[in-house]
Amino acid sequence: MRFVVTKPSAGAGAAGKARLGALYLGGGGAAPPIETPALVVPTRRGLPSFISRDLLDRLPYPDSLLLHLSPIHFIECPSTRTIKNIGGVHEMVGLQDHFFIASPGDSVESLPEHGGTNKIGAAFETPSGRRLINPKDYMDIISSTRPNLWASIADEVPAWVTEKRNRLSIDRTLKWLDDCLSLDQEKGASTLGAVVGGPNIEHRKKMCN
Amino acid sequence: MALQFEVVGRFNRARASKLTLPHYVVQTPMFMPVGTQGTIKGLTNSQLEDIGCQIILGNTYHLALRPGAELIDELGGLHKFMNWKRGLLTDSGGFQMVSLLHLADITEEGVTFQSPVDGKPMLLTPEESIQIQNKIGADIIMALDDVVRTTITGPRIEEAMYRTLRWMDRCIAAHKRPDAQNLFGIVQGGLDPVLRDICVRGLVERNLPGYAIGGLAGGEDKDSFWRVVAQCTAALPEDKPRYVMGVGYPLDIVVCSALGADMYDCVYPTRTARFGTALVPEGVLKLKHNAMASDERPIVSTCSCMVCKNYTRAYIHSLVTRDAMGSQLLSYHNLSYMMRLSKDLHMSIVEGRFPEYVRGFLRTQFPKGDVPQWVCNAMEVAGIDISSCCAPVPV
Repeated sequence: MRFVVTKPSAGAGAAGKARLGALYLGGGGAAPPIETPALVVPTRRGLPSFISRDLLDRLPYPDSLLLHLSPIHFIECPSTRTIKNIGGVHEMVGLQDHFFIASPGDSVESLPEHGGTNKIGAAFETPSGRRLINPKDYMDIISSTRPNLWASIADEVPAWVTEKRNRLSIDRTLKWLDDCLSLDQEKGASTLGAVVGGPNIEHRKKMCN
Repeated sequence: MALQFEVVGRFNRARASKLTLPHYVVQTPMFMPVGTQGTIKGLTNSQLEDIGCQIILGNTYHLALRPGAELIDELGGLHKFMNWKRGLLTDSGGFQMVSLLHLADITEEGVTFQSPVDGKPMLLTPEESIQIQNKIGADIIMALDDVVRTTITGPRIEEAMYRTLRWMDRCIAAHKRPDAQNLFGIVQGGLDPVLRDICVRGLVERNLPGYAIGGLAGGEDKDSFWRVVAQCTAALPEDKPRYVMGVGYPLDIVVCSALGADMYDCVYPTRTARFGTALVPEGVLKLKHNAMASDERPIVSTCSCMVCKNYTRAYIHSLVTRDAMGSQLLSYHNLSYMMRLSKDLHMSIVEGRFPEYVRGFLRTQFPKGDVPQWVCNAMEVAGIDISSCCAPVPV
């Protein structure tokens, strides 16, 4: 995968932040680059809601190639072993040419729940109740589903938490990133680090560094 | 009459046909999925075309409630409203008498329903039913019949049969579009062969474009079921389509086709899909079972549908209890299966191998040879030797 800024925002100095970009999916496919800003299509267990693979082909191309994957959807089943045997998420949902970007939370079925998060792992509200996921379990799902890109788990907290809690979320997120990378067979080649820090811009900048 | 019916193959009572309708040319035997409110739950029109769906069934009662016949008419008819270019058939609303009986009152005038939407009384007369169906614009429309469950006994059955004939005349008189829509009559009479015979004769006298066998698939024993079908198909005209309403299970369709029926409809394939059950050559496969959680095979290894080509049982198992997508994929497979069944029946008759097809079907469904007795009885009447499919009777 390769990302290129094709047009920075017009405007002097740091006034303009927006930019146009091109995301080359790579992987030997002949897909043209996806223009950014781009929408990553949400999925449930790998498939967009109510859109099977034959219908997905009818959506605008190549933009519909970008799909979001929440590994939390696969906590219960299929097992990581079964997913691995099938060949990963691309084979499992019949979307071999699509580009899956995995991050733990989504807006429907795996909602980050900071009240349940602790030093062991991050908590998510799911249809089957609150689930706590640690880096090892998360990476088991990542290694079996094999998304094109994946974000590490993060201790996401709302903007109104205390400064102490905010700092804790940063420390945990960095630790979990290291834990995930240590378990990653590709050594971070497809990893997206999660930036947390609440409303504190300085925290966010430090975390980016 | 707005159809042409051409028999293109036969084996004894079974026939394959080419049925030309205003919107489409269909091949029979044929299964019609039920799209009660102008849509098949879980499938788009393009998917229905991909799997070979020829006719979709809509329901007058439900469409009249929502979105309303006037609106459908104003927007150019149901074909245009739902953007379906192939065949459409509308039922009269009569079945709702049975399925919604607690809300209905049946008199000679018609059926008074209590609307499930707002509780107001809604009178469905033969004239009203035909008027609504004229507005909906389907290729085939059904007469309003007085339907009773076959599990009911007594004089009500005879009353319903004669009323069905009287309502048939009112439907014919009310039908304003005979050149564009084919009004089928429905044979009633419960399980009584005398009543069924009277009804068949009465309908045949009226020289309708096609005939349906109604009042079955409602809980009667199978032996009674096939005998009524056999009696009716034997008495109905050879040169007109025969439609067994509410059927159904693949086995029932094979038997009825052997006895000379052409058209079928049922909610079973899509409804059972929504409960996590797939149709397979051996019978059914329940995707909710724990054993499916690690089963990496497709639903049916020999099935060429989009679902079987791309998804494993394990993946579908993970969906069926948690996501509507599971119902959607299973509905797609089940309807593909029914379309394939229809096609196989048609081609096996045309190519002169119908008995072999029936035997293969039965061997797959009953590998131990335990073919139900009612099937054996029916096949004997149909003139198909299935002795090789049945286990020897212990002495």
